[in-house]
Amino acid sequence: MGLTIFTRLRTGITPYLLLGLSLLALAYLLSAATQDSSRLNDLFFTIFGLSIAILTLLVAILGRSLFQLYRDFKAKQEGARLTIRLVSLFALLILVSTTIVYSFSVHFLHRGINSWFDVEVEQALTDSIELSRTAFGIRMRTLLKQTRMMTGLLSELPDGDLSHNIRELTQLSGAIELSLWTMDGQLITTSTQNPEIIIPSRPNEAIFHQLEQQQDYIGIDPDHDTLQLRAAVRLPIKRASQDERFLQVIFPVNTRLSTLSKTVQHAYTDYKELSYLRKQLISIFTITLSLIVLLTLLASIWFAIWISRRIVQPLQELAQGTQAVASGNYNTKLRSASGHDEIGFLVRSFNQMTQRLTQARHATQNSHSQLEQQTNYLSTVLGSLSSGVITIDSQHMLRTANVASSKILHIDLEQRLENTIENLGDKNPFIQPFTQLIKQKLTQKESWQQQIELQQKKGLQTLMCRGTILPNDAGWVIVFDDVTTLLQAQRNAAWGEVARRLAHEIKNPLTPIQLSADRLQHKYLPLVPDDQTHTLTKLTSTIITQVEAMKEMVNDFSDYARNPGLQLQPQEVGKLIRDVLTLYQSNPAHQFTLLGASEDISLNIDSTRIRQVLHNLFKNAIEASEDAQSHVDIVISYHSMTLDDHQWLEITLQDHGPGIPEDMVNTLFEPYATNKAKGTGLGLAIVKKIIEEHHGQVWAENLDPTGACIIIRLPLEEATQ
Amino acid sequence: MVFIMPASVIARISIAILFLLCSLSVHAESFKVSSAHISKIGNGYVLNAKIEYPLTDKVIEAIDNSVPIVFSQQLEIIKSIPLLGRYWQWNETLWSTNIRHKLRYHALTQQYVLHALDTNSQRNFPSLISALHALGNIKELTLPPEYFDQPDNLIFQLRSGIDLHALPTPMRPGALISSKWQLTSPWVEAQWD
Repeated sequence: MGLTIFTRLRTGITPYLLLGLSLLALAYLLSAATQDSSRLNDLFFTIFGLSIAILTLLVAILGRSLFQLYRDFKAKQEGARLTIRLVSLFALLILVSTTIVYSFSVHFLHRGINSWFDVEVEQALTDSIELSRTAFGIRMRTLLKQTRMMTGLLSELPDGDLSHNIRELTQLSGAIELSLWTMDGQLITTSTQNPEIIIPSRPNEAIFHQLEQQQDYIGIDPDHDTLQLRAAVRLPIKRASQDERFLQVIFPVNTRLSTLSKTVQHAYTDYKELSYLRKQLISIFTITLSLIVLLTLLASIWFAIWISRRIVQPLQELAQGTQAVASGNYNTKLRSASGHDEIGFLVRSFNQMTQRLTQARHATQNSHSQLEQQTNYLSTVLGSLSSGVITIDSQHMLRTANVASSKILHIDLEQRLENTIENLGDKNPFIQPFTQLIKQKLTQKESWQQQIELQQKKGLQTLMCRGTILPNDAGWVIVFDDVTTLLQAQRNAAWGEVARRLAHEIKNPLTPIQLSADRLQHKYLPLVPDDQTHTLTKLTSTIITQVEAMKEMVNDFSDYARNPGLQLQPQEVGKLIRDVLTLYQSNPAHQFTLLGASEDISLNIDSTRIRQVLHNLFKNAIEASEDAQSHVDIVISYHSMTLDDHQWLEITLQDHGPGIPEDMVNTLFEPYATNKAKGTGLGLAIVKKIIEEHHGQVWAENLDPTGACIIIRLPLEEATQ
Repeated sequence: MVFIMPASVIARISIAILFLLCSLSVHAESFKVSSAHISKIGNGYVLNAKIEYPLTDKVIEAIDNSVPIVFSQQLEIIKSIPLLGRYWQWNETLWSTNIRHKLRYHALTQQYVLHALDTNSQRNFPSLISALHALGNIKELTLPPEYFDQPDNLIFQLRSGIDLHALPTPMRPGALISSKWQLTSPWVEAQWD
């Protein structure tokens, strides 16, 4: 509870309220005390205590402000350093100016008060007092003599006549009062000229004491505002029975002398009192001045802290705002400064700047978003293109590559971005013609188009490349298409047309030629001499044989050109191969090995045409081995496999012949691509045609050390397994 | 730079100041009512009292420098009504008076003038001691008789001191906080003769 109250008292505006109320109370008390000086005595301790309390409160407030400033400085808060600098500057100015003013004030105070007093004046006043006493001394001696005469007279008189004579003596001497006393203080008789005075003025103990010492007394007595001369003289003892007596006479001082004496006395007393109070006056004024200066100093320093904070606060907020903007928070908005000064202008400018930055940021974000959308759109378009598209920058670096480019080149280009074209060619030798072409064309400053061939694993690949320079010399965009299939199709179509025309044009006259040769032999054999018979028979047989050969050749052409619809039916591959092999196993010199899957594989094929494929391949292999006079040893295998997420049936046929000449590996399946003495050169072309009609692939590879391998891949559907 | 005084130092300074104030007040000798008697003369009652005025050097210095000093003699008649035996009484002030004398040095006559402010009477003394002696010698001061009809449970008390409020203004602050000027005697009950 106590702690809560203490915390409330020392925080917030409570101390300032307390200070304000205390100052108001002090002002009221001071006003009351100065209006009525008697109240100052009653209020002195209240005013004194309140002043000390205000001073303590001010010191506490100042201490708190300084401590907060120190804490901010230690915590390295923004603006603390500037505030301290400003406060130090203000404090220094205040200290210097206040010290100067204080020093001069104290100096002038001392000089001013001390100037009231002068040694010569003091001496003059002392002398005037002494002069007055001297002036009175002459008169006093006269009066003492007169009093002594009176005592002489009175001592001769009997007690009964004393009163009467004293009255007469009073009138004669002009005294104010005559009184006769015994030495033990008993009044015997008195006479006064003032009828209001009943009891005479009793001499004090000192006079009694002096008279006891047998010394007469004469002195000046102050009586309110006037002076009196008092003389006391012992009466001579004339009779032994007479007690000791003395006569006291009070003489007036003439008005002129009395007035002058009073003036001198007052001047001297006032001067003496003022001189005595000089130290207190100086002390009081110095203390008052010091208190005021101290209060002013403390209040000024506190005000310096307050005003410094007020000045620095917007700058502090500005610094924080700047830091926030620097860290990316563009939404920072400072409290709008109400002032129309430079700081207010600065704050408003800052707010405008952040507002514009925010707008610019939003615009940039929108642009970025649009750009991203466009990029995504472009990526999607490029990704869906069948053409390969790559971009290369001016440093020959591969920047982008679409999916099709990787498929065409059989390299994952997306994993090789940021590589140079040269590096790509070095790491992948089979695309070197492609990279060299690009490198060569990059020096050009215009678009280009060129067809190149790459040596791929499955044969030659023909690419049609087009290069276009990007704006601002940002590099090149290369677009390329795999036109291998297209060219092959064009070639196949041309060959088919040739074969069809040949079959049509040549086959028609062959039968009449064969029939004519047969009739020629039959009609003219009996007519020719015997020695010519053999020749005629040989010539006509040659014609008939050659025509037959030409018929076969024309039939082959006809087969190649023919494009009947496929009769697809589910067929077990193993069984089909075994059926075909049966026809070739009659020759014991020929060895066939069939390596098949444990479970037969079924797929939709035109069995007649696939049989023709197998016949052609077996026949080709046997002829190749026999031509090379090597042992006929053919290994056939079939199995299913998964490639590019598709199921395939792969059939391989290996022989141990001389292999395929290197220059023919890529053109083996072209029409008329043969190294044999006989044959039409259409066998393997027909194989490739049939396989492609089944959407499959076929290619040839040489074996190590000798032999060749024909590989067929046919698409395998799940349902047909 | 912030200068923070440790709490222990503040406590030590406070204790030192208190000790100094206490020691000052202990050393300063205050006025003393050495005797006070109430006597019945006829139908009236009179007070005879002796008061000692041991002045400090500060007060003497002020008097010697012509500063008038006002002495007050406060007299009170109190009716004490016991509420809880002798442990708790209800005191009612029936009568009180303040007799004030102004003492000052008259430089021209070299006398000390004792001026009774109430009666406007004046007495002169050649020395300070004799003036103070006369001041402290209260002889047959007549008291109001109406309160003495039932003298039971009546208390007559008196004390004397310097009226600091009558000092010149520049001296007052210093005198109010200085023990050299705090010479007021304690209340002393008068004896009944």
